[in-house]
Amino acid sequence: MATNVSAVYIHVVDDVISKVREEFVNYGAGESVLNELQALWEMKMMQCGAISDVERSSLRKNAAPITPVHDLNVPYEGPAEEYETPTAEMLFPPTPLQTPIQTPLPGTADTAMYNIPTGASDYAPSPISDIRNSIDLKAGRPSPYMQPPSPWMSQRPLGVDVNVAYVEGREEAGDSSHQSMTQDFFVNSTGKRKRDDYASRLNSGGYVPQQDGSGDVTVEFSLPQNAVTQGQKSSIRDGQGTANFKFYFDKDAKPTPVIPQHDGIHDDYDDIFQFQGVSSEDYNTPGDHVEIRAATPSVGTPKPGKNEAAEDDEPSLNEDDDDDELDDLDQEEDEPNTQHLVLALFDKVTRTKSRWKCTLKDGIMHLNNRDILFNKATGEFEF
Amino acid sequence: MRLGFRPTSFSLKYRDQRSSIGMCLTETLDEMVSTGTLSPELAYQVLVQFDKSMTEALETQVKSKVSVKGHLHTYRFCDNVWTFILQDAVFKSEDRLEQVKRVKIVACDSKLLTQ
Repeated sequence: MATNVSAVYIHVVDDVISKVREEFVNYGAGESVLNELQALWEMKMMQCGAISDVERSSLRKNAAPITPVHDLNVPYEGPAEEYETPTAEMLFPPTPLQTPIQTPLPGTADTAMYNIPTGASDYAPSPISDIRNSIDLKAGRPSPYMQPPSPWMSQRPLGVDVNVAYVEGREEAGDSSHQSMTQDFFVNSTGKRKRDDYASRLNSGGYVPQQDGSGDVTVEFSLPQNAVTQGQKSSIRDGQGTANFKFYFDKDAKPTPVIPQHDGIHDDYDDIFQFQGVSSEDYNTPGDHVEIRAATPSVGTPKPGKNEAAEDDEPSLNEDDDDDELDDLDQEEDEPNTQHLVLALFDKVTRTKSRWKCTLKDGIMHLNNRDILFNKATGEFEF
Repeated sequence: MRLGFRPTSFSLKYRDQRSSIGMCLTETLDEMVSTGTLSPELAYQVLVQFDKSMTEALETQVKSKVSVKGHLHTYRFCDNVWTFILQDAVFKSEDRLEQVKRVKIVACDSKLLTQ
C-alpha cells in the first residue's frame, strides 16, 4: 500500500510537471525553475515520508544542483523520525559551503581560522578574533588565570546556601517572638495523635528522636509544669536539611484558638489573623473592608476575613476544571504531525437513529503519520 | 509566508492541500514565490494543475477500498462539506488495519466538484 501511495504521488508529480511545462515556457520561466520546483517538492515529500527514497532515486539527478537549498530546510521539515532513509549525498552534499566549520581542538586552536571571517590582518587581530581566542584559551587549556575556577565553582552554591540560611534565620527570629506560632508549628509537624503518644512516653525518657531518613527532625520535649512555653529551633545541623527542633512545651497551657494554616497558600495567614486590624485588608476589597469594620469593629472582623480568604483560594484550585480531555484533543489537532485526517469526497451520508453510514470516494487518509489513498470508503459510525 | 491566493474549488481547499503531497507542493511554491524564483500567477497554475492531476490519479490509479468504523463524536454539515470527528476509529483496507484514537474526516460533495 505504501508503495502504491509513493507510486501515485510520483505519478502526480510527473503529471503536474509535464503539464505545467508549457505554462512555464509561456510565462518566460525557464526549465531550470521547473526543475527546481520538482526537486524541492520531491525533497519535501521524501522528508515527510510521503514517498520513499528508492522510487525517486532516479529523479534525484534533477535535484542535484539545488540540493543545498533543500538541505538548509532539513531540520524544519517533518518529524525527526521520518528521516530514516535519506541518502548520505542528500544530507551532506559535496558543496564546499555546506561543509561545517569544525570546532578546533583546544590544543590546536589556530588564530588564523578566526581571522578569516573578520578579514583582519595577521598583525592586527580584530577584537572578535581576540575574544574568540581568549574564549578558546579559557575553555580549552587551563591558564594561570583559570586556577581559581574551583573556588569559584564551589563558591556559588555556598552563596545560595547563605541566602537560604539567612531567610530561615529571619523566620526563626519571627517564630520565637510569638509563643502561639511555636505551638502551631509543633502541631503541624507531628499531628495531634502523635503528640499524645509522645507526651505519654516522654514522661520517662523525655527525648524522642524521629529519624526516618527524609528531612529528619529531632523533637525534644521537656515538660516543666510551670514553665512558660517557649519555642526554640536550633540551627540547621548539616547541609542535608537535618534539623533539631527543641520544644519546651507546657502541657497545661492549651493552645490558643488559632488554627494554623500551612497548606502552601497564604501560609502567613496566621500571623495576619492575629493582627486582625491590618490583616483583613489583604483579603477584602477596600469597599467590603470598610463595611465590615464599621459593622463589627473588633470581634467580628476576622471571621468574614477568613471566609473571604477561603473564597479567594477556591478559584485557584478549580480554575482548570473545564479543561476536559476533548479540549486537549482539540488543541492537539492544531499540530499537523499528530493529526489524523481523512480528506475525501462524499457520495452519500445517511443516518438511522444514532447509526450513521456514509460512502466516500477518492480520498487521502493521513493516519499515524502515513498517507493512505483510497478509491472508495464506507463508514459506519455510532453516535 | 503564505501565498495571497485562495483556492477556489473544494478539492483544492479541503483535500489536496492538506495531504502530504499537497502541503509539500504548497510549501515549495511559497518558498519559490517568496524568493522571487516563481511568479504567483505561475504558482497558482501549478496548484490548479496539481488539483486536476491528483483528482485524476485518485480516480484512475487508486483502486483500494477502505471501511471505517468508530464512535461518532461530532458531525457537522456546512457549505456542502461534511465533517465527522470519530473516536477510537478503525480503518480497514485489504492489507492493513489502522487504529486511531481520534480522527477527523472532511468530505466534500462529489457532485459539486466540477472539473
